[in-house]
Amino acid sequence: MTPGGPRAGAEGRGAARAVSTLALARPVRDGPRWRDLDLVLVATTAALIAFGFVVLASATAGAGDPRSYLQARALHLTLGVAALGLTVLVGYHRLCALWRWLYLLTLALLVAVMVVGDVRLGAQRWISLGPLGAFQPSELAKVTLILTLARHLDGRKPPETLWGLAPYLLHVGLPVLLIVQQPDMGTGMVLVAIAAGMLFLAGVRLRVLAGLAGLGLMGFPFLWSFLHDYQRRRLLVFLNPDIDPLGAGYALNQAKIAVGSGQLWGKGLFAGTQNLLRFIPEQHTDFIFTVVGEELGFVGAAVLLALFLVWLWRALAIAAAAPDRLGRLVAGGVAVMVLFHVVVNVGMTVGLMPITGIPLPFLSYGGSALLSLCTATGLLLNIGMGRRRLLR
Amino acid sequence: MTGRRPPEVDEDAGLRLVALGVVTVLLFVVLLGRLWQLQIIHGQAYLQQSEENRLRDLRVPAPRGVLYDRRGRALVSNRAAFTISVLSMELRDPDRVLPRLAQILGMPEAEIRERLRQGRSRPFEPVRLRRDVPPAVVAMVEENRLDLPGVIVEVEPVRHYLGGGLAAHAIGYLGEISQAELAQPAWRGYRMGDLIGKAGVERVYDRILRGRDGRLRVEVDARGRALRVLRREPWVPGRSMVLTIDRDVQVAAEAGLAQEGKPGAVVALDVATGEVLALASFPAFDPNLFAAGISARDWQRISRDPAHPLLNRAVDTAYEPGSVFKVVTAAAALARGTATRATRITCPGAFRLGGWVWRDLRAHGTVDFTTGVALSCNVFFYTLGHRTGGEAMSQMARALGLGERTGIDLPSETAGLIPDDAWKRRHLGEPWFPGDSVNMSIGQGWVNVTAVQVARMMAAIANGGTLVRPHLAREVLTSDGRAVRRFRPAPVGRVEMAPEALATLRDSLRAVVERGTGRRVRLPGVSAAGKTGSAENPRGKPHAWFAAYAPADRPRVAVAVVIEHGFRGGLAAAPIARRVLAAALRIPLPDEEAAPAPRLPTGARGGRP
Repeated sequence: MTPGGPRAGAEGRGAARAVSTLALARPVRDGPRWRDLDLVLVATTAALIAFGFVVLASATAGAGDPRSYLQARALHLTLGVAALGLTVLVGYHRLCALWRWLYLLTLALLVAVMVVGDVRLGAQRWISLGPLGAFQPSELAKVTLILTLARHLDGRKPPETLWGLAPYLLHVGLPVLLIVQQPDMGTGMVLVAIAAGMLFLAGVRLRVLAGLAGLGLMGFPFLWSFLHDYQRRRLLVFLNPDIDPLGAGYALNQAKIAVGSGQLWGKGLFAGTQNLLRFIPEQHTDFIFTVVGEELGFVGAAVLLALFLVWLWRALAIAAAAPDRLGRLVAGGVAVMVLFHVVVNVGMTVGLMPITGIPLPFLSYGGSALLSLCTATGLLLNIGMGRRRLLR
Repeated sequence: MTGRRPPEVDEDAGLRLVALGVVTVLLFVVLLGRLWQLQIIHGQAYLQQSEENRLRDLRVPAPRGVLYDRRGRALVSNRAAFTISVLSMELRDPDRVLPRLAQILGMPEAEIRERLRQGRSRPFEPVRLRRDVPPAVVAMVEENRLDLPGVIVEVEPVRHYLGGGLAAHAIGYLGEISQAELAQPAWRGYRMGDLIGKAGVERVYDRILRGRDGRLRVEVDARGRALRVLRREPWVPGRSMVLTIDRDVQVAAEAGLAQEGKPGAVVALDVATGEVLALASFPAFDPNLFAAGISARDWQRISRDPAHPLLNRAVDTAYEPGSVFKVVTAAAALARGTATRATRITCPGAFRLGGWVWRDLRAHGTVDFTTGVALSCNVFFYTLGHRTGGEAMSQMARALGLGERTGIDLPSETAGLIPDDAWKRRHLGEPWFPGDSVNMSIGQGWVNVTAVQVARMMAAIANGGTLVRPHLAREVLTSDGRAVRRFRPAPVGRVEMAPEALATLRDSLRAVVERGTGRRVRLPGVSAAGKTGSAENPRGKPHAWFAAYAPADRPRVAVAVVIEHGFRGGLAAAPIARRVLAAALRIPLPDEEAAPAPRLPTGARGGRP
């Protein structure tokens, strides 16, 4: 494949459908331009990963074999960097061109996890890969949804009515249903958020989106009946954590105690009692932010949030400067995904949101999640390297 | 694709990205604000909560002091025992854990919940559910450790009463402090769940015996497992004490009571010091049942026993004294001079006063003073009582320590009653009639005394008139066995009697044993003095009494025996007094008279073989 591939694909498709005014303004590009590599994004990503590695070391210090976590994390990182590089080289255009296949592959894997998946923590989310660990298809689904939905929206006029949204809702709804039934409410919500954000960025009118939200709210009682008991309890406990301080409210209370007790400077790495004495359930995955808050304090938490903010700023900036609508939608989808993850994860840790099993990007332990984040970062970098040079 | 706008034209796309950026910044501001609130504003409070999370202040119960008899033989010691406790903070799933625990411990779930509810005020201290569980239960708890989060096994010293029920009423028993006791100033500084003495010496000297509990500050993980000790404050063991009890005398007293088989009491005193050589009440109980917290079943069995085994009949119960009171009548008459050694009275078998007739068992004929006492001739005493008068008898009775608490170091002593004119006017609205004096002369009519009062009265006569204070505590020991405190309570008072009067009284009491109603007390090689009693009472057969001291010439030991409804003091009570005196004076008794080995009662069953 020649370096000009992506351009050819995009222009060919644009020409086949309609005359694009922007296409006329599109500069001539000649493959990934490495000097346009977004170094700030690369540095921020590296900083987040390093931050996460240190915090993970502390979070797993109390585990039976802390080194095994760090070794696995190193392996995940290697795979992640490889995936990132590969994504940059292949490029979002070529990936989007395969959208039907990607979509079918995702659905197939989600169905496969239903059939052959491992049951852990009461949910069937993983496909065992033998000695390599386990693979979580729902993490892959986040990236494939961004790519396929972007491609689905690209080149089409934004729907003006609720009915017009139907094909897109179907597009999103299938994987969401498959994921929610695992049950994995959190990831299902991530997909919905990504879709909502991308529809918004695609120019769907606000009143149509509002109508969609209204429909969703009306559907809530219906959804409630589908929730598992533990999910309902989490919601109720969120509204009133004192209902059951030793049961469902336990994680919430302990997380708040951990974060709050960090005060300004924190108790120091490897010195968080809530962490080391295992008062926090899942402190190396979904609740890893408690370790940041407890051991590094407000300062550490603020630094981490600042890193995320810089990362998101780069993502949105790349979206804004994307060479085409497809790139903008992909970049926007990635930004929404990470934003949602960070806000919901930190929000749940500090008691602003109900407890949902959503990992904190780049920090939570988990190979599939890291892989999908690296891929998403690769997409951003790739889009950034194809940016328009209107000012040149 | 029929839209008016070309599909690739999103004129507000930049705007929407900016909107997304603004939302992002706003959300981060909210998160940061929340972190500020948690970490900076409320950080101190959360830090404290996290400390409470990880720190446990455990109490390490100090072993109580050992109790020895006067010759250094241990009566009560301690042994290590396992206690099953619950840390309510770690009890995540009580509805699952508690039924299981109830099954393992064999106690009702409701009882467990009640105990946990009571312990709620101290969430970081373990709530003790069952002390002294058998090893099998410990093994079961340990095996099911993962299914019983919050349940812990502690090792604690548990009281061990070596003689079973030996001296149970003197020593007492333990129980958890009650809410009512906690509120009393006497128990200030005690805490819920403390085991305290509920009776006997264990209660009176609780502060000496209990020592100070140790503290252990440990760091625990989320499952409540102790990871390391942060601070250790060792316990101070309780001080050991030497009691005045002589185990041999105590065994003799209890064996005698058990052989008789009726409710009753024995008190033996050192006549010079008031030291209690034996204090027995029958039926007894086994304090070991209480040592680790008594089970509901055992408690019901003991508390509902009609024989009331927990009742200390030597101190807490006052009985009609019957003829034992004749000692008072004789002393009062001799002191007032209404009778002397030479006084002779003819007994026709009845005594008449006005229109009333008081009968005697038989016509004793003409008796002198010592014979009147020796034969316990009622008419002799009716006459003395009538001559001497109620007021003089009441005064002498009080001078001899009847009708008032002896001050023995036991809780809940009762005072008994010595009536007089003022008392009768106050309670019955009538003046004292001469007939009342006649009744009183033989210990009838409202007179009520305790065994320990009677024993002290005999000691006073034996020691020349000093009213001692009976006591059970002899010494407090340091950990290396030196006595740091000796108990020598000052005498309560003196009975003023002319030497000649006292000699007459003593000779008369000696005659009781040598040729009178108390012949069954005669000891080989040692003379004794005493007085029998058969106290009529409205509840059944007369109570049998015997009060004695020995040796008669140089007295050392005084003893009082009362057997409820034992009928004849000379028959039911005297043999017990004899055994006690023999044991106290170390006089071996011929084999055929020695009772079978003392049957140590277990629990409340002692009273009903």
